[in-house]
Amino acid sequence: MTDPSTVFALKDIRRTYKVGSELVHAIDGLDLTIRDREFIAVIGTSGSGKSTLMHTLGFMESPTEGQMAFEGEDVSSISRSQRAHLRATRIGFIFQSFNLLAKLTVLDNVLLPLVYSRQKVSNKKELGMNALERVGMEHRATHRPSQLSGGERQRVAIARSLINKPRLILADEPTGNLDTKNRGRIMDLFGSLLDEGITLALVTHDDEVAQYAKRRIRMQDGKIVEDTAQ
Amino acid sequence: MNPIADVYTGASNGLREVWSNKVRSLLSMSGIILGVAALVAMVGIVQGMLGNLRASFESSGGVLRLEVHPREAPESQQHIAGISPGMTWRDIVAIEKAVSLAANTTPIVDMSWERFVANGRREGAILHGVTPGFFGIYTKDLKYGRLISDYDVGAKSPVIVVGSHIANDLFPEQTNVIGEQVRVRGQVYTIIGQIKSTASSGFGGGRSGWNREDRLNYIPATTAMSRYKGDDEVDRIEILALNVETVPDLIEQIENTLTQTHRGIQDFEIRTQDEQMAELKKLENSFTFSLGGIAGISLLVGGIGIMNVMLASVSERIREIGVRKAIGARSHDIFIQFLAEAVVISVLGGLLGLVASVGLLSVARDLIPQGEAINIVPVTAMLYGFLFSSLIGLASGIYPALRASRLDPIDALRYE
Repeated sequence: MTDPSTVFALKDIRRTYKVGSELVHAIDGLDLTIRDREFIAVIGTSGSGKSTLMHTLGFMESPTEGQMAFEGEDVSSISRSQRAHLRATRIGFIFQSFNLLAKLTVLDNVLLPLVYSRQKVSNKKELGMNALERVGMEHRATHRPSQLSGGERQRVAIARSLINKPRLILADEPTGNLDTKNRGRIMDLFGSLLDEGITLALVTHDDEVAQYAKRRIRMQDGKIVEDTAQ
Repeated sequence: MNPIADVYTGASNGLREVWSNKVRSLLSMSGIILGVAALVAMVGIVQGMLGNLRASFESSGGVLRLEVHPREAPESQQHIAGISPGMTWRDIVAIEKAVSLAANTTPIVDMSWERFVANGRREGAILHGVTPGFFGIYTKDLKYGRLISDYDVGAKSPVIVVGSHIANDLFPEQTNVIGEQVRVRGQVYTIIGQIKSTASSGFGGGRSGWNREDRLNYIPATTAMSRYKGDDEVDRIEILALNVETVPDLIEQIENTLTQTHRGIQDFEIRTQDEQMAELKKLENSFTFSLGGIAGISLLVGGIGIMNVMLASVSERIREIGVRKAIGARSHDIFIQFLAEAVVISVLGGLLGLVASVGLLSVARDLIPQGEAINIVPVTAMLYGFLFSSLIGLASGIYPALRASRLDPIDALRYE
């Protein structure tokens, strides 16, 4: 578990919800190891538990049972604010609906995670512009999200996820709202992130998108039923 | 964790939010703006008016002034009440001789409302017959001429000291009316003194609004008695004490003297100004509490308005809260952000309210008679108004901010 090349090590993870009087096992005994610079696609039907897995990996919720280690540290039962800190500093999020804040400029959206990471940054603007350059959006820095196309918005969202130099980027259907051409551009962008030492995990319905990933995990009923790494 | 940085971030986020929703922010501020403006303006106006009352109370001798009024003799003396000569000039003479503790004494021969004629014009005003002692009790500032003298009283001179109302309205072209003549009920008087207007300086000071002080005019008491009353009766006597400590002894001296001149009949009463003083205090208190209550309620309503807007804003921005939490905001950060928005709204509203109150007070100063006493920048009231509005903003922001901060990031992100 202390291997530095291991990003995540999950052992017998369970996540149970109570819906009315019924217990729902969203994740039902799952083992998973994510290594450095892996590109993983999680596929499965809706209700298979892939979103819950992403939320667990993104420290948005804690497992009900099981062991979970991040970068060699046990994170099975850390506090809410510790989870928030890890989200702010180690994880980047990309959403299907981009989730940029409409009132902020493109640059301010990209810089937003710095507000919450509480790191002293003197050259904020430069960092933001670098991230925008990385996704080819520096010419749109002063625009509002509403002035951008879907593909452009997702590129800005990627720049936002990069700003804190995360260890892991989690993407939930990142190309779900995009046309084929933009889908290709975004996926190529993801591919290039791996070279920078970033590990990627994305959830998708789209088999074509999943083909970009080197490792594909199929989930069903809260369990992994297929893992191309094994 | 750095609380100062948290507050700074929260406040700048709050300002940005307020700025990007200008109309909504202004509407939600309106309650606080009106509340603070009303509070400060009302307190300012009342302070000014009470200041006027106090000043006129002080300039008429304050608690040192005693009034002696005639009254019916008590039941036990009814059958012999006729032996008393009543309140007459002889009482004045006796008091001046025997009452050593009196600083000043004057009879008031009250003619009430009279028609003054001069220069082809007529004007209604009040005429009082007095002695020089009157001007030792009431402070009257002369614009021109002199006051009534002992000689005038002795000689029953046909002279008059006029107030600014008669001077201005009967002789509109003249600033100095000394030497002019006025007629009252067929009797002619020469003007020897002209009193300064009490509603003097400032915009609108010259207008002839209804001001009792300015409508008072004085002739020698002896002249008034002989020309209009036909006997030596006076309507009341006013006496000024040397100091507060001697007031009880002074009352005793007056009582003894008048009991002699009235041949033992208790057909007079001595009134002190304590009651008036207490009335004034009561008036001040009731104004303070009722206005404080009204202003408090209006500020509370303003606070409820802010809470309402903040709750709406939280529901509208659930997704934003989800995004912020997903990228690392703690509940605490979200709490501070929304609380800061509420405080920014109320502080800005409070400041705008203060500006509005200065406007209201300057309008009130021009419109209200004797409004010169109104201070258009009542600093204490302003400080309180601002403090209350900020506190109300803080209080009304807590609940919406708590609701925002407790949102689960996953639920918030799924919210449509």
